[in-house]
Amino acid sequence: MSSAISELQQEASHAHIHPPPQGFIAKYVISFDHKVIAVQYFITAGLFFVLAGLLAELLRAQLTQPHNTLLSAQTFDEAYSIHGTAMVWLVIIPVLTGGFGNLAMPLMIGARDVAFPWLNMFSFWLFPPAGILVFLSFLYGAPRAGWTEYPPVSMETTGTALWCAGVFLIGVSSTITGINFMVTIIKMRAPGMTWTRMPLFVWATLVTAFLSAIATANLSAALAGLFNQKVFGVPFYDPAHGGSAVLWQHVFWFYSHPAVYIMILPAFGIISEILPTFVRRPIFGYKAIAYSSVAIGLVSFMVWAHHMFTSGLAQWVQLPFMILTMAVAIPTGIKIFSWVATLWRGKIRLSTPLLFTLGFLACFTFGGVTGVMLASVPADIHEHATYFVVAHLHYVLFGGSVFGIFAGLYYWWPKMTGRLLDERLGKWHFWTMFLAFNATFLPMHWLGLLGMQRRVSYYDSQFHSSDLLSFVAGTNLFVSISAFVLGASMLIFAYNALRSAKAGKVAGPNPWGARTLEWMTSSPPPYYNFAEIPIVLSGPYDYGKPLPYANISQDLATEPVA
Amino acid sequence: MNQTRKPPLLDMEFWSVTLILTVISGLLMWGVVIFPIDQYLAEASSVSKDIDFIFRFMAFFGVPIMVYVIGYIVYFAWRYHTRKGDDLMAVGSDIHDQPALETAWTIIPSILMLILGVISYVVLPKYYMASAASVATIEVIGHKFYYEFRYPGLSQSVDNEMHLPVGKQVTIDLTSTEPDIQHAVIHSFWVPEFRVKQDMIPGMIVPIHITPTQIGTYRIICTEFCGLGHPDMVGKVVVESQADFDKWFADQRTAQAGAANQKPIAFTRGDAAAGGQTFAAKCTVCHGTGSFDMRKVGPGLGNLFHDPNHANLVTGKPANDADVADIIEHGATGDLGTMPNMQVNGLTDKDIANLVAYLESLHK
Amino acid sequence: MATHALQVSDAEYQEVRSHRLLGFLFFLISDSILFCSFIFSYLYDRSASPMWPPAGVERPGLYLAAVNSIVLFGSGVTMHLAMEAWRHANRTRFTQYIIATIVLGIGFLSGQAYEYTHLHDTWWGSVFGASFFTLTGMHGFHVFIGVCFLITVLLQARNGVYDQNRYFGLTAATLYWHFVDVIWVALFFLFYVY
Ligand code: HEA
Ligand code: HEA
Ligand code: HEC
Ligand code: CUA
Ligand SMILES: [Cu+2]
Repeated sequence: MSSAISELQQEASHAHIHPPPQGFIAKYVISFDHKVIAVQYFITAGLFFVLAGLLAELLRAQLTQPHNTLLSAQTFDEAYSIHGTAMVWLVIIPVLTGGFGNLAMPLMIGARDVAFPWLNMFSFWLFPPAGILVFLSFLYGAPRAGWTEYPPVSMETTGTALWCAGVFLIGVSSTITGINFMVTIIKMRAPGMTWTRMPLFVWATLVTAFLSAIATANLSAALAGLFNQKVFGVPFYDPAHGGSAVLWQHVFWFYSHPAVYIMILPAFGIISEILPTFVRRPIFGYKAIAYSSVAIGLVSFMVWAHHMFTSGLAQWVQLPFMILTMAVAIPTGIKIFSWVATLWRGKIRLSTPLLFTLGFLACFTFGGVTGVMLASVPADIHEHATYFVVAHLHYVLFGGSVFGIFAGLYYWWPKMTGRLLDERLGKWHFWTMFLAFNATFLPMHWLGLLGMQRRVSYYDSQFHSSDLLSFVAGTNLFVSISAFVLGASMLIFAYNALRSAKAGKVAGPNPWGARTLEWMTSSPPPYYNFAEIPIVLSGPYDYGKPLPYANISQDLATEPVA
Repeated sequence: MNQTRKPPLLDMEFWSVTLILTVISGLLMWGVVIFPIDQYLAEASSVSKDIDFIFRFMAFFGVPIMVYVIGYIVYFAWRYHTRKGDDLMAVGSDIHDQPALETAWTIIPSILMLILGVISYVVLPKYYMASAASVATIEVIGHKFYYEFRYPGLSQSVDNEMHLPVGKQVTIDLTSTEPDIQHAVIHSFWVPEFRVKQDMIPGMIVPIHITPTQIGTYRIICTEFCGLGHPDMVGKVVVESQADFDKWFADQRTAQAGAANQKPIAFTRGDAAAGGQTFAAKCTVCHGTGSFDMRKVGPGLGNLFHDPNHANLVTGKPANDADVADIIEHGATGDLGTMPNMQVNGLTDKDIANLVAYLESLHK
Repeated sequence: MATHALQVSDAEYQEVRSHRLLGFLFFLISDSILFCSFIFSYLYDRSASPMWPPAGVERPGLYLAAVNSIVLFGSGVTMHLAMEAWRHANRTRFTQYIIATIVLGIGFLSGQAYEYTHLHDTWWGSVFGASFFTLTGMHGFHVFIGVCFLITVLLQARNGVYDQNRYFGLTAATLYWHFVDVIWVALFFLFYVY
């Protein structure tokens, strides 16, 4: 045993500590430090989240009445397009990869930083200009065709060019981050951290990084094609000149379906960290969870056409896509069931991060089941492009990704800032958000099934029977009011976050009594993360056994603060 | 021998909770079975019932999944959470694998998905496979922001209101175009009560098959964003008895007979020179002006009106103005392939007349 | 810079080198996906079209392209020889071969420029032109970047940035150059032959 350790020790001694940067700019602006970059991502994406959320509230304000004149059709269309674009590319993806990936992954593998700190800085600095370009398009007539921007109709707005440029930049940023993270995880794990000793968040980040690096290049190509058609008239997607409108849908979804797993796998990873910590027992089915992430990642490349079941695909093309889409439910189910089983016979501490985790499990499972309802081609033919899809996507994106993000924020906040968030406010935040979320998005399912299509600023003409119309109008009003409450629930978090800077309890290195490596150093960690590179002797979740690390001062696993 | 027996991993309380959850999901599943979908949304076509069956099936197995997942989360969280005074460093069970259980929860969803796949597979062809029973082909063309319907036998199209005889299968050819095809965008054709939806895509014709089964008036909704008028793009489909339909059709005929452009397209004499230009621009992609056998994509058209070896057109009708115009207007699908209709080729009625004149002038 | 090749220990250099090599390989994979995506678009448009190239469009001439391909593949050979020379510590040979590669690369670009200016079809004129100019243009851009890369490598080699055991920049340039060659094989087949 000891000879094995000394071997690892030797491996660990290679990495030496670089001197910390000096001066404000080097420390906080053009920073190469993964922890600072993570915070930069959080702050920037947080701003975009407020903007995109306020756009959503505008949408809901318009829809309180069947024929509201609050917004013009044009403003409404621009609002949901930028809402979707911003939420997907400027909030969820940057937060989950750039934010949490940067914050936790290098610490969790016991590295001093990512493989290419300079590229990491560069990826981040592509992000603000990308967001600015997307929002700037409002000045020139923002795109109106949704976050999917199907041509030919997307060719009608000038802002489409800016939109393409913005999303292109964020895509490049995401590709670079993906490559960076893959190399980091493959090459820079602490000595002794074999694949199956990797924390599950790292597994999730690895698969996500793979998807980012592969699929996003395809997005870049699609966007370049769209941009060239808009600006130079190159007829890739132009049916009037021999191109095909459906082609865009293929290349767009070939990226964007893997992208929805880019948006959920890291959240899965966060959940997998929080559960064992607060249940205080090993996670159930470590390998099954890890490998099912890989399976989901691979299958995700072969299901894209499920977004195009009504676009005239031949039946023999639809079938394999349907079957493969349904197949994704199986590895995902394995994860869900393993998480639920982890709760069994634990010593469960119902702190805020765990509450958000449980909220995630409930909402995401529901969103997944409606996803399967969309996967069946005949059913999708009825449901496609209605509020049923809008409901599904919010259940997985909000109920999944956003709940996961908040769980992660409450969990890693002390690591990031050195102070805890207030538990009581956190619980208020959770319960208002959870209830308002379901009240907002659950009714959308039947709105869609009854005939409300998406992307409409008024809906009085398609419900010709007045009974139906008043039912639909009532439901929409209820949805809108819930959406306002949902927005307000975010204020609790904002207040909590600001408050913690002054009044938050000082956290100490390991406030939750967790066992992964990021807790084995001070909060916030020093510039170089670990004084000595830690050595890993077994897996991360064996609660009740001594910590499996060498080169770490053993007094770090302090009493938790519940 | 004297070893005290370990308490079972799953105690009475666990099984009682499981029983309660089973009862709850049983009740909800029963609710799914008896839920009267058609009271909320009429099942007005032959596929409606099948699709509602699929939907019901999915909701039926979705219910227990949700009930058990949420039920156990709530139960475990309540049962095992630490209370005041508990040791916060205590740890829970160390069971982290249970192959039998894990196999079960891999296999059960797989089987469910397989069944769902098979059911979907069985229902799916009903949209796509035309039966011989199809009584007519109606062309539906999406415009900004209305629907245009072209009935065989009517020289003019009808806008926004479609009439169908009840109980008869019709084929609907969907496409989208604008006078200037540059401005054509994707629309969609959705009749919620029929459970039928299909995008209308410029440059593509997609046929679907509908058999309306209930008399009534339903809405046609455009679900694909097509511009600022997208919410306005709502049409009507009137399903009526054969007698009513015939009457409507006859009325249309008479009404159109009184209209300015009363002659069917083919009987307007066109301008052969202009037709030649149109031909060069739009048709030479697929047709040359050689003999029938000199094919590009479609047959050579040089001898169209005078070919002793091919007295009849691909439609089987003799080569005369009206029937050639008909092919150019509606396109044709046969052994040689598919010829697009006038919308796809971007032709006006006048163009067709010119083309016919031009084709006639070819062989002299 | 702390990572300057000559200031770090051998073990550390090897580690950094392995990171960069892996990162560079992932970059190449990602880059080839970019090409694959446009190739998919090309094949899709092609399969949806009744005849190919579309009516009124002519394929660019095979002859010029074939000559140009030989120039490009020749540069692949000289690149390979340059690396061999480096490994055998033959600096003069190395410099000669690198310069030959650069010249051939520029030759290829000139050939392409000539071809572009003598075609009737345009980028926006047809779906064929759209794919042709996008893909070969992207490829040409890669060659251009490759030439710049090689010039940099040449200058750095002369300034003593690399030594006999530490020459990641060279390795990357070689990989990149061969990658660009391989892409050309696919494009040549698609646009001039198939
Ligand atoms: C992660 C992604 C994400 C998230 C979090 C959300 C969040 C919300 N979404 Fe979004 N949505 C999408 C992704 C997302 N959406 C996508 C991809 C589409 C498709 C777009 C398309 O058609 O192309 C869509 C479309 C979409 C539609 C359909 C538009 C249409 O088709 O016509 C609607 C309508 O109700 C809607 C509503 C909302 C609401 C009310 C929220 C709320 O949950 C938002 C709550 C958040 C905030 C409000 C921000 C926090 C604010 C503060 C802290 C300030 C306080 C504010 C107040 C008191 C009001 N969304
Ligand atoms: C985080 C993002 C995310 C995630 C994870 C998913 C997950 C899934 N999605 Fe979703 N989807 C979106 C985001 C996401 N989706 C968005 C944004 C859109 C709209 C895009 C637009 O048009 O704007 C969309 C649209 C969309 C469509 C197209 C609808 C249409 O436009 O017609 C389809 C169709 O198949 C679909 C299916 C699925 C399926 C099968 C899953 C599966 O991965 C779900 C798997 C999970 C479960 C099934 C739950 C857990 C499993 C169990 C508990 C086991 C037992 C379960 C069963 C046996 C069923 N989604
Ligand atoms: C996409 C290819 C395509 C285009 C464009 C096209 N056609 Fe055709 N055309 C065909 C095919 C294929 C057939 C054979 C159909 C069949 O087998 O039933 C055909 C058949 C015909 C026929 C019947 C020939 C016969 O001998 O019966 C006529 C007339 C005709 N086309 C005229 C035209 C005109 C006029 C245009 C231009 C406006 C045109 N076509 C454009 C593909 C095309
Ligand atoms: Cu037409 Cu929407
Ligand atoms: Cu998808």
